[in-house]
Amino acid sequence: MTDAPAIATRGLSKDFGGGRGLFELDLDVQRGEVFGFLGPNGAGKSTTMRLLLDLIRPTAGSASLLGLDAHTESLEIRRRIGYLAGDFGLYPKLTGAVVLDYLGELRGGVDRRRRDALAERFGADLHRPIRELSTGNRQKLGLIQAFMHDPELLILDEPIAGLDPLVQQSFHELLAETSAQGGTVFLSSHTLSEVERVTHRLAILREGRLVVVDSLENLRRVAVQRLEIEFADVPPSAAAFETLPGVRDVTAAGATLTVAFEGSADAVVKAAAAHEVRAIRSRDDDLEEIFLRYYRAKRAEAPR
Amino acid sequence: MTRAALTMALRLRLASTGSAALGLVAVLVIVGALFPAVGGTIGKLNLPRGVSQLLGGADYATLTGWFRSEIGSVYGPLVMGAVAITAAAASTAGEEEDRILALVLAHPITRARLVAAKAGAVAVLVVIIAVAAWVGLLIGVALGGGGIGLGDTAAFAVHLAFFGLAIGAVALALGAGTGRRSLAAGVAAAVGVVGWLINGFAPLVSALDWLKYLSPFYYYAGDDPLTQGIDVGDLAVLGVVTVALVAVAMLAFERRDLRG
Repeated sequence: MTDAPAIATRGLSKDFGGGRGLFELDLDVQRGEVFGFLGPNGAGKSTTMRLLLDLIRPTAGSASLLGLDAHTESLEIRRRIGYLAGDFGLYPKLTGAVVLDYLGELRGGVDRRRRDALAERFGADLHRPIRELSTGNRQKLGLIQAFMHDPELLILDEPIAGLDPLVQQSFHELLAETSAQGGTVFLSSHTLSEVERVTHRLAILREGRLVVVDSLENLRRVAVQRLEIEFADVPPSAAAFETLPGVRDVTAAGATLTVAFEGSADAVVKAAAAHEVRAIRSRDDDLEEIFLRYYRAKRAEAPR
Repeated sequence: MTRAALTMALRLRLASTGSAALGLVAVLVIVGALFPAVGGTIGKLNLPRGVSQLLGGADYATLTGWFRSEIGSVYGPLVMGAVAITAAAASTAGEEEDRILALVLAHPITRARLVAAKAGAVAVLVVIIAVAAWVGLLIGVALGGGGIGLGDTAAFAVHLAFFGLAIGAVALALGAGTGRRSLAAGVAAAVGVVGWLINGFAPLVSALDWLKYLSPFYYYAGDDPLTQGIDVGDLAVLGVVTVALVAVAMLAFERRDLRG
């Protein structure tokens, strides 16, 4: 059954009432993929992952991981996957080393060299009590426990939260290596920029429903980038930017212009370069906007 | 894997249980040492029956009565209950509230086995307190002039242990079923306190006398292990309640959605 998809859900639903939950999720994640699961907070990403882990049970539908039923064969699944919970706790008085030893023993023992290699890679401090660690350093422990037994499938809920850029870099490298060795990664985030460098395919979840599944290239094509350009003194008029190719929207606030555009940043940057620029900041894409635009693009393509 | 979970559960509670055990020994030793000085002068207190029943007879004239009232009726079960209840409520409900449980259960251990490991750890802690009570009692009795047989001191410790198991199982089942630590600990503590009151007052009203059978205190001290030794029937009731509640904990925990 090695050709069974890493994750397959059919009509997977968890109704919390009041319109909250997850509804009729059909999703396939192939082996070897790095799959990004995007959506605003509360969209149902963590709920999906908790269903896959059998921490909560669906109100309808089913899920299988590595060809095994998420509920009835959960023990075997959990032997073969690694999971990072979105907002997890660890025993505050114990050190990272003690907690990782414990979690390793729950797996019947893991190779300590791999654990230590991961710790070194992330620069994790295993010898201080967990309550003394920063959020980012706790997150490193969470990542180590998810990867330390070399699992076939990783389910990572907001893995990048709290990591400093350098650690993010080594995390991205680890994902690439995992995928190159045939491992599968299913990771969630609430911003596209966090995952766009590492994922092959993306799904966007909105209010408990899957709205988009596509390759990163197709999504990027319709994604709107936003640049915040701060000028030295008098900013150029917004109108000068509005007429540039690809620009959707320009707003001015004091000496700062915020330009929203699709496609290449070239025209915007060159136009800005005619003036004295003090700073350029990139703003996160708005997921809501991405999938609306994605839909519009799809509808335009589809023959009626 | 179950052993790893049990070891960890013990590790998390061993320090606090150890200091509770040492405190219990110290108090028992002091209480025993005080008896020759004050026991005779207090004598048997002339209290209303319910109150004296709550205090284990309030007969301070004999060493047995002295220990029964000073330790057996309040302090002993208080320490035992506190240790068993806090450990049991912390075990699954506490880890669930602290968001540790989702991470632990992402590992290959069934929920039932995790509950079994946690219950086993609580049982070990209960035994530690019971042994401390026994050791303290032996020293205390020696210092107080003797007069309580070795078997009866051991019987007291065994009854105390079964009381701890039963009250801990109440907290474990509630915690596993609800995922709420304070609810589990609070209700289990209330079962203890109400049971203590019932055991004292229910026998005063013949129509309510049967209520005492609902109180864990009745099975713990109703047949006075300090003079009568072990009562197998009482222990069986506490044992069956414990096993049944642990089974309930496993079943309820297995079926439930974990809190996010």
